[in-house]
Amino acid sequence: MLLRNPRREIEIAGPITVVKLLQQLQINPETVLLIQGDTLVTRDALLSDGDDIEIRPVTSGG
Amino acid sequence: MKCRRCRGPAVIDIRRHNAAFCRDCFLRHCREQVKRAIKDHEMIVPGDRVLVAVSGGKDSLALWDLLAELEIEADGLYLGLGIGDYSDESGRHARDFAVARGRRLIEVDLREEYGFDVPVAAAATRRAPCGACGLSKRHLFNDVALREGYDAIATGHNLDDEAAVLLGNVLRWETGYLGRQAPVLPNAPGFVRKIKPLVRLGEREMAAYCVLTGIDYQVDECPMAQGNRHLGLKEVLDALEERSAGAKAAFLFGFYDRGREHFLEEAAAERGDLRPCPECGSPTTSELCAFCTLRDRATGENVPVHLRRAPVGD
Ligand code: SF4
Ligand SMILES: [Zn+2]
Ligand SMILES: [Zn+2]
Repeated sequence: MLLRNPRREIEIAGPITVVKLLQQLQINPETVLLIQGDTLVTRDALLSDGDDIEIRPVTSGG
Repeated sequence: MKCRRCRGPAVIDIRRHNAAFCRDCFLRHCREQVKRAIKDHEMIVPGDRVLVAVSGGKDSLALWDLLAELEIEADGLYLGLGIGDYSDESGRHARDFAVARGRRLIEVDLREEYGFDVPVAAAATRRAPCGACGLSKRHLFNDVALREGYDAIATGHNLDDEAAVLLGNVLRWETGYLGRQAPVLPNAPGFVRKIKPLVRLGEREMAAYCVLTGIDYQVDECPMAQGNRHLGLKEVLDALEERSAGAKAAFLFGFYDRGREHFLEEAAAERGDLRPCPECGSPTTSELCAFCTLRDRATGENVPVHLRRAPVGD
């Protein structure tokens, strides 16, 4: 699976739901948006192997 | 998931509302939440001139956009803080947005107009940069709004920001700050009204708003925010939220409704007697106001500076 920003490849086999993916990466879903290709998707969306995905953090400090 | 409103395919789920929305219904949800915050807390009255504190980040740009969607006329104010590439990029995001939508953006550059910037002030005071930065922002927003005749300053503080500030203040029982933490701080002599129209929307919703409306915001964090106490507090609150959806909103809105009233006296007592600063005219309880003291120190005038501990993350 290909992750953007920063661009990196991760060894996670699809299809997998957003919730499961974030669980495996130990990311709290409350702190990110998930962008599949160029659309925003919900927690239950199914991601597949070839997908281009961005996990965008939403927390800011200032 | 399906949109709660129109049953079309959803693009975002908001657990504390136990709902998911498609793009259009989500944008409408955001407008409704802002409208409700403005109405419930009497933030803006018809005819008010509003100044939005624009940082180039998601919250302030979304706020500026939402006010326009609600037909509330608002100009923007961008402060050049001099924080390297971060400030250059933030300024570009703010300017591009203003140009694209034909809005008026006032710019004030700390270094050009006052002879120092945030990193210099931080070094001179040997304190965390966020203290000097927050102090400068509060002072300059108010100063520009007064000079240019605005009725209210709108900031992009969202539900997560306010909940984190509240947690920080509670953990230290900062009773004075607790009394002053509100979605609206009414105007007073020398102070323009301050409003936070995004208090009913979370950080995730603001980022989603920008993604869905194509607002190109500054995604990278301020380099000075590393180790910021605010971020730790948000992490704790997000962990609570994940276990129990709605925890943050219950914490913050419960405080507004039932908690804050118990701290009003403390806040008033701490305020002390205000008189105008001899250099800039801002109301202050000391000889010279905190901003002028900071400026003197940062530009090398030999004055000892005593920064009051700033409210968390402001
Ligand atoms: S993180 Fe601190 S230094 Fe950076 S913009 Fe925010 S308040 Fe200023
Ligand atoms: Zn819908
Ligand atoms: Zn002064």
